[in-house]
Amino acid sequence: MAALAAPPSPVARSGVAYWADGYWRIFVWDLTNLRILMPVVVSVLILQGAGFVVGIGLFFPHMPTEAAIYVVTGAPVFGLLTIGLILEPQLVAAQRTEGSYEFLRSMPVPRTMMFLAWYTVSLIPALPALTLAVVVGSARYGLHLDVTPTVILAVLATSLTGTLIGYAVAHGIRNPMATQLLSMILIFVIFGFSPIMFPAAQLPHWLAAANLWFPFQAMANVVRSSLVSGVATGVGRSYIVLACWAAASAILAALAVGHRR
Amino acid sequence: MIDTATSTPSRSSERPASEVRRGAGYWLSSYTTMLRFDVASQRNTLPLALLMQILFGTGMAIIYGFYLGRMSPGAMLYVVSGAPALAVITTGMVLVPGVVGERKIAGTWDFIWSLPSPRSAAVASTFTVYTALSLPGIVVTLVLASWRYGLHLHLTPMVVPAFLLASLMATSVGFGMAQAIRNPLVTNLIVNVLIFVVLVYSPVVFPIAQLPGWLADIHQVLPIYPLAQVLRASVSSGLVENLGVSYAVLAAWTVGAWGAAAYVIGRRR
Repeated sequence: MAALAAPPSPVARSGVAYWADGYWRIFVWDLTNLRILMPVVVSVLILQGAGFVVGIGLFFPHMPTEAAIYVVTGAPVFGLLTIGLILEPQLVAAQRTEGSYEFLRSMPVPRTMMFLAWYTVSLIPALPALTLAVVVGSARYGLHLDVTPTVILAVLATSLTGTLIGYAVAHGIRNPMATQLLSMILIFVIFGFSPIMFPAAQLPHWLAAANLWFPFQAMANVVRSSLVSGVATGVGRSYIVLACWAAASAILAALAVGHRR
Repeated sequence: MIDTATSTPSRSSERPASEVRRGAGYWLSSYTTMLRFDVASQRNTLPLALLMQILFGTGMAIIYGFYLGRMSPGAMLYVVSGAPALAVITTGMVLVPGVVGERKIAGTWDFIWSLPSPRSAAVASTFTVYTALSLPGIVVTLVLASWRYGLHLHLTPMVVPAFLLASLMATSVGFGMAQAIRNPLVTNLIVNVLIFVVLVYSPVVFPIAQLPGWLADIHQVLPIYPLAQVLRASVSSGLVENLGVSYAVLAAWTVGAWGAAAYVIGRRR
């Protein structure tokens, strides 16, 4: 009886093992959650990646090589942004509506591990779909890309910044309707008014100047510099812009998820 | 006294004096009542729908220019004269299926079908509202796009039938599709895929000659290319041939959509 009344032996909620365990459990949780949605997500990414890269060629009587390079090397960036800025906010909005958001927050897992697990899961559908876009686009337009090992850094920096911005939007805005609306507007504006899949020189001057301070052109620039030589310039500045946006979004997201109510 | 009492029966206990529930007069009065119902029940969302149509139509016309870079005047004319089609497509393929789906989820259609008005009057009212909503959207999109590219268009008297038939076709097809597919979530998914295919793989802002032969052949019978052709012919000259065929294809799609809608709505459950 005395043994039953004794408090349970204290579980150490710190240390690498505890963090790794939390990461793994949430990773499996997120993956299981996405299992039904996963085919849809992959299809959307293939359609808007490889599908768009091939389709945009129809707009030109003869596709110029420069335009082809921009579209093929920009498509993966747009795909990574779709995952970070659309999928995560929409999922969190759905969790808030159905009430599972609070339940997930109550789990004894460090918030950073929750983010890292989601980040890893989000890369699973993204990477194959985006590689396909680059391969199909290069074959369609006869491009010879010059892929360097920096592609790993560029893709990680791009996806991490995109996911952090999405995380800040998803957790910072409480109203699910507002989150969904904002993420839809964001992706339309990014698709049309950010020089990701076309050169910045094709925008009006004021819009091109504004884009220098937003992260989207910088993402395209770092990824492009790792896939093809001689097109991207100012890559160092782009990495700094990305680092600033990633840090700011991380702080906002940390404030939002760390906030006690 | 007795005469008065018998000649004015109390309303609560007896049916109203045989009201004729058929004929043109009854249909028209049902139609105007449903029109008032439709406008009143969507008074908050209709201005937003108009705004979205203009932003999306004009936005896409401008965005195509960013992707295309330096364009020849001919290419520019294609983009500007294709802009009205973008506005119409937004209404027919995004807004109308969205509203129909929302009403399905909320059970509003069951309520509407239970009203003592012919179902055709209720459907005609929805078509009227969204066809009318498209018209200012088309005009504003056209004005903004031609201002952006610095082009002067040649409007012909054909703008009236072209704008009306294009809007009516888009509304009818969007409505028919959304009614025919039972699950609004499936409709939503199909709409999202369709809008992508329409915006990238349809000859709306570029000549059909740029498509591979097989895709061009498919577009001859799908409604998007004829829609763009009919609208383009009404605001420009010398770009469109075989206009009669385009009108015929649009009319066929409109009638087909009405048939599909009539079949789904007329079915008893």
